[in-house]
Amino acid sequence: MPFLLVCLAFEFVPIIFLVRGSFIDKATQQFTLAHYQTMSRTIYVNSFVNSIKISGLTAIIGVVLGTLIGYAIYKLPSEGVKNALISLSDVTTNFSGAPLAFAFIIILGMNGVITQFVFKYFAYELYPNFSIYSFSGLALAYVYFQLPLMVLIIIPAFVGIKKEWQESAESLGANTFQFWWHIGIPVLGPSLLAGLTLLFANAYGAYATAYTLVESQLSLVTLQIGFMIAGEVRHDPGIGMAMAVLSLIIMGLSIAIYQITTSKVRRWSK
Amino acid sequence: MKNLSKTPIKPEKKDRTQAWQIILIALFLFYMLLPIFSTYVFSIATRWDRTILPEGYTFEYYGEATDASYFVSSLRNSMILSVSTILVSLVLIIPTVYWVFIRLPQARSFLDVLMILPFGIPTVVLALALVQVYNGTFIGRSPELLIGAVFIYSMPFMYRPIVNAMRSVDALTLTEAGQSLGATTLQVLLKVIIPNIYPGIISGSLLVFATVFAEFTLTKLILGARFKTFPLLLVEYTRINGNIAAAFSVISFSIAWLASILILWVGKKGQGSSAHTPHAH
Repeated sequence: MPFLLVCLAFEFVPIIFLVRGSFIDKATQQFTLAHYQTMSRTIYVNSFVNSIKISGLTAIIGVVLGTLIGYAIYKLPSEGVKNALISLSDVTTNFSGAPLAFAFIIILGMNGVITQFVFKYFAYELYPNFSIYSFSGLALAYVYFQLPLMVLIIIPAFVGIKKEWQESAESLGANTFQFWWHIGIPVLGPSLLAGLTLLFANAYGAYATAYTLVESQLSLVTLQIGFMIAGEVRHDPGIGMAMAVLSLIIMGLSIAIYQITTSKVRRWSK
Repeated sequence: MKNLSKTPIKPEKKDRTQAWQIILIALFLFYMLLPIFSTYVFSIATRWDRTILPEGYTFEYYGEATDASYFVSSLRNSMILSVSTILVSLVLIIPTVYWVFIRLPQARSFLDVLMILPFGIPTVVLALALVQVYNGTFIGRSPELLIGAVFIYSMPFMYRPIVNAMRSVDALTLTEAGQSLGATTLQVLLKVIIPNIYPGIISGSLLVFATVFAEFTLTKLILGARFKTFPLLLVEYTRINGNIAAAFSVISFSIAWLASILILWVGKKGQGSSAHTPHAH
């Protein structure tokens, strides 16, 4: 089948070669673990720490705020407003890369709108304590596409919490907190976990936004791999491959958790 | 007269919109809209780096943007890339999904997993793998290699709507009906199935279009400056001239939104086949 051949040619074979390449010494063509040992150097450790930190942080912020906002939207009485907000989330979660990074420079750059607003009305200088070209700046930009993605994931899950449950819990004397703690959150659990893993993977793999915003200020795994491909850093390609393989393992774990939890969600909603 | 409509006997507890809801949604809207709105304003502002509101307004940056060298060629390259990817996806995915539906239903879950995989591969990793394997061969760092890469990256967006449409028209029954009248499987596919699943085909094509048109990572890392697409030009201008870059951003939103509106419209006309599939950024 041509479809499978194309998948083999452009996905599986290259990935297999990548994994193999990460264990091969280029000069001697012998098996080696040297590329993985190199990963303990500060620059690579930092890249992984930064990538995991920014993905974890923006995923947690996205899940918590996205769930609250999703609930606020879900509870709106007007179907029209609800659908408009869902469509907005659909559009904004796909707004990323260079246009997103640049929009954040316009509002929070050195001369950005908010930077000037804060200075004029609160007499506070954002810079140099804050910078859009830093970890916290990049996190703000990532939350921009994480938040609406979580809203889209969580709204269908609220539909699964039947009104009658809340009523019967109330008639049995449970207060709102008790209801959410004992019933709401456990029912939402799988969706929350699925959201967390998907948002994590979403941020971990991001490249274009980071490339535009923090290219050399912050070391991230995807940026490092990008430098190696573009030949901007002269390194043994094996090191890039080892980073790529470790990233595949991290992504694979999160996608696997996502798959398992969503199949659980499907079973629950039947 | 008695009201005979089926209103619930006990009046339901009215869901009144509460203050916290309004505040939360207002903050959400502010966060989501301010960056977009600011980009629009920046693209028509004469100067906006010393004041809270721009000092004046002008449309000259749009003129400069459309006059920029590479403007036309980068739009053309993005179009070529998007349209070829859509064609490749249609030719590869429709027959595969159809075949699995009528002959190999047990392979459905395998195909589902295959379509999740691209989300697990960061685009930089895919780019590195392809560049390493094909460097030095005839296809190395060529537009064809890029189309292959972009196809892999965007195939889930084509797959979902096609599967939903195929399921809703009951492809198996249609095929059996067609074959009992003496048509070959290929005839059924071309003359019966494809005309019936066109809402899915159009939704999928538009989703792939929106994804590929905005694609930056694979293009930059596989081809670099040799094949300048619109997103590459935009990034270049963020470092040269902010106002022109903002004008480019506005043009790129407009194209993306046009595609989204068409997707919503097609989805309403056909069946709800829009997929909330995650993107890689």
